[in-house]
Amino acid sequence: MAQVASEPVVVEPTGPEAGGEPSKQVVGRSPSQLFWRRFRRDKFAVAGVFFIAFMIVLATVGAPLLSGVVGHDQNEVFVSEALDQIGLPIGPSGDFWFGADTAGRDLFVRVLYGARTSLTVAMVATGIALIIGVTLGLVAGFYRGKVDTFVSRLIDTVLSLPILLLALGLVAACSLSRTGCLGGLIRPGVLLVSYVIGLFSWPYIARIVRGQVLSLREKEFIEAARAQGAGDLRIIFREILPNVTAPIIVYTTLIIPANILFEAALSFLGIGVRPGQASWGKMLADAGGGIFTVAWWMMLFPGLFLFLTTLAFNLVGDGLRDALDPRTAR
Amino acid sequence: MKRYTRLIALVGVLALAAAACGEEGAPPAADQGEEAQRGGTLLAGLESDVDAAFDPQKEYYSVTWGFYHCCLLRVLVTTPTTTAENGGDELQPDLATDLPEVSEDGLTYTFTIKDGVTFAPPYQDQEITAQSFINAMEREATPAVGAGYPFYYSVIEGFDEFGEGEADSISGMTAVDDKTLEITLTRPAGDFPFRMMMPAAAPIPDGAADGHNKDYGRFLISSGPYMFEGADQASAPPAEPFPGYEPGRSIVLVRNPSWDPDTDPLREAYLDRIEAQIGLTADDGALRVDSGDLHLMLDSVPPAQQIQQYQGDPERRDQLFSFGGDGTYYVSMNIAEPPFDDVQVRRAVNFALDRAGLLQIRGGPLFGDVADHAITDPLTGFLQEDYDPYPSPDGSGDIEAAQAEMAQSAYDTDGDGVCDDPVCENVVSVTDEADPYPDQSALISQNLEPLGLTLDVTTQERTTMYDSCNDPGAHVALCLGAGWFKDYSDATTFGEPLFGSAAIGPDSCCNYALVGAPPEVLEEHGYDVTEVPSVDADFQACDEMELGDERVQCWADFDRKVTEEVVPWVPISFFRDVFIIGDAVRGFDYDQFSGQPDLASTWLAGGGSA
Repeated sequence: MAQVASEPVVVEPTGPEAGGEPSKQVVGRSPSQLFWRRFRRDKFAVAGVFFIAFMIVLATVGAPLLSGVVGHDQNEVFVSEALDQIGLPIGPSGDFWFGADTAGRDLFVRVLYGARTSLTVAMVATGIALIIGVTLGLVAGFYRGKVDTFVSRLIDTVLSLPILLLALGLVAACSLSRTGCLGGLIRPGVLLVSYVIGLFSWPYIARIVRGQVLSLREKEFIEAARAQGAGDLRIIFREILPNVTAPIIVYTTLIIPANILFEAALSFLGIGVRPGQASWGKMLADAGGGIFTVAWWMMLFPGLFLFLTTLAFNLVGDGLRDALDPRTAR
Repeated sequence: MKRYTRLIALVGVLALAAAACGEEGAPPAADQGEEAQRGGTLLAGLESDVDAAFDPQKEYYSVTWGFYHCCLLRVLVTTPTTTAENGGDELQPDLATDLPEVSEDGLTYTFTIKDGVTFAPPYQDQEITAQSFINAMEREATPAVGAGYPFYYSVIEGFDEFGEGEADSISGMTAVDDKTLEITLTRPAGDFPFRMMMPAAAPIPDGAADGHNKDYGRFLISSGPYMFEGADQASAPPAEPFPGYEPGRSIVLVRNPSWDPDTDPLREAYLDRIEAQIGLTADDGALRVDSGDLHLMLDSVPPAQQIQQYQGDPERRDQLFSFGGDGTYYVSMNIAEPPFDDVQVRRAVNFALDRAGLLQIRGGPLFGDVADHAITDPLTGFLQEDYDPYPSPDGSGDIEAAQAEMAQSAYDTDGDGVCDDPVCENVVSVTDEADPYPDQSALISQNLEPLGLTLDVTTQERTTMYDSCNDPGAHVALCLGAGWFKDYSDATTFGEPLFGSAAIGPDSCCNYALVGAPPEVLEEHGYDVTEVPSVDADFQACDEMELGDERVQCWADFDRKVTEEVVPWVPISFFRDVFIIGDAVRGFDYDQFSGQPDLASTWLAGGGSA
């Protein structure tokens, strides 16, 4: 019988807010109820959740909608309207809310579409990291022995690689020819960047999961399950996995912003997304090289959105960790 | 095409443009009423060192050519160190008494050399003779030297044989006497006198380059108004490199005592001394020019902010200069690759592109002129200035005319002006990853959309991009970031290397469009097209003509044929070079030949004492 599935009732005295007089009444709460109570109290984390939701709406529905409202497509070039007579982009105005970039494109629309790129890469890359990390972590922790040794060394190996350099090389190599790598399996573009980032961020999750599983597999309820004749797969997926979801969720929310920044870094260094595709890192790179001294908006807006989004994910991650870990004092 | 850092430096979008074209290139207002003064030290800055440590046979770089032309090396005939508008494209005698005599068959050139001109110290006792020029050519032919552009001299009889070690001398170069040099060619090349103005053809004293196959530049014996500092302290031949050039650090030129202004009407040489500091950044250099610590930067494009300041300040606006150099930025279309194997499609693209917008992205009129044809105006004698076969309002593209062309194409079956063939989708295009090319490719994609052409653009590092464009096997349909710059003031450098069947890669360069590609080459690289137009006969005819109006007209006609009939390019803009100078600098001018400031006519207010 799994702990979470059974929702054991924890008895907790209600606080002094329940009536003023010392209450003898005891209210039963499930762990998920406890989690929500704790999480709701963290105003920053809640704000983070709202901001992330807002960004997701903006990236999916908002980008095309608002691009229609301002009447500018993300790749539309407005030479006469957005570049002044001496070739520099114009600043924020009624028509170009965030100003224009050096190609005369609407920075506002591009920042919105950039959110799409950033979130896509972050989600896909984190998804890949999750699948690899959780699987290997579970297997290593549960089977121990040679399997564990192999997985642990693999983790060490990946962690010891110069990630940025290697990612640069991989993406660059696969972007050289239009058919990509591995016989066209990996093509240049957002997905390639996602794969590469995913391939480098799984060890963190794997390591956490492995540690948790190592201690869980000695617990009585696992022995009980085994005594009932449960197979390895059932124990792993029905008994152990549900008990490591909390740390997985927490680490996932912390890896997402790291991956957003990773994408931005790759794009900043000039590899990653295809030309024409909006990406915050790419926009920041475009604003570099001195142009921001005369066109500050090219640096400010993509940077602000990148900063706020990663901050939001980090706040949510912190909130989740505090709420899910009963040992954290609040 | 020699190396031009100013073009490699990313001008692009960072740049601002002069509001009024009229004032560009005009001499500073402060010149008026001031008499040019001799003396003073010009303080210049360089971002990077010269290419080959001043070796005259190897240097193939605009900055070094600038130093040679104004200051260090005299040649038989040369152009004045000024703009094309002021005669900077016209050959004048320099060390020769006159322009060469050409034989009837166009194969023999006879130069007569001025009397009494000697080399700079430590060879001040050696007179410049016919043999001095033969020394230079033999050095250019010697493989161990690793010369920069021997191909220009292969036309001299026996030049290649000497290089291959099959002969002890170049049979086509004869010193009839000390002052008469006769050069025989294997085939007529009307531009040959121009080839003799390049630094590789500058005289070398007997014995001065012996044992210096790799480092003659450090021991360079000057013939011009200046020489490396310390040359007068050396013995002949010098034992140590001259201290006037410290690689990676500085260049210091002082007056050459052997130089006699009476023999050199082309160079004023007002300055006493020229110092160039190597290794500054563009931003650092700009700050120093602003503060007066430096007179000018020679190899960097002024940063956007600096241009903006000088542009907006009426007192400093006359310190901002923009000169038209001889370079064309263009989009190259692969005429063997569908849909660009159809001339109607190529013409449609010429109508569709917003050249003015593309120039605006590069920085506007300060950084170029809209190009309506392939070969620059100075090289076609300004005959083509009003030639505009693909007219559009303000040069911003005419989509209706473009669609009308597309409608006649085989790739537009229903004749609605929009390509409906699958080959028009995801057209393989490459461009330079540096500014302003990715931005320009966004506009190009947008311009071509109404024609049903969608581009799949890959951005690459510059050299990689040129390799891709130059490899017929890569099947790049559009090369979006191409540019080409002349070596000397004759259009021949815009002929064969760009449109000749012998210039098709990957082993040769730079006919990216595959103009005149023979059927076997097309087949070898997997093209379905078996025949493409050729202009080999056209440029060969021009090449053989003697210098003069007829030859210029021939190139103008060639330019028309290329632009209108063959249409391998969309010319985008003609290059302009931008400089900001300190307020003490006077007489600032542009050397059309090298694309560098003309330091021979530059002088300093108050003799540089200010």
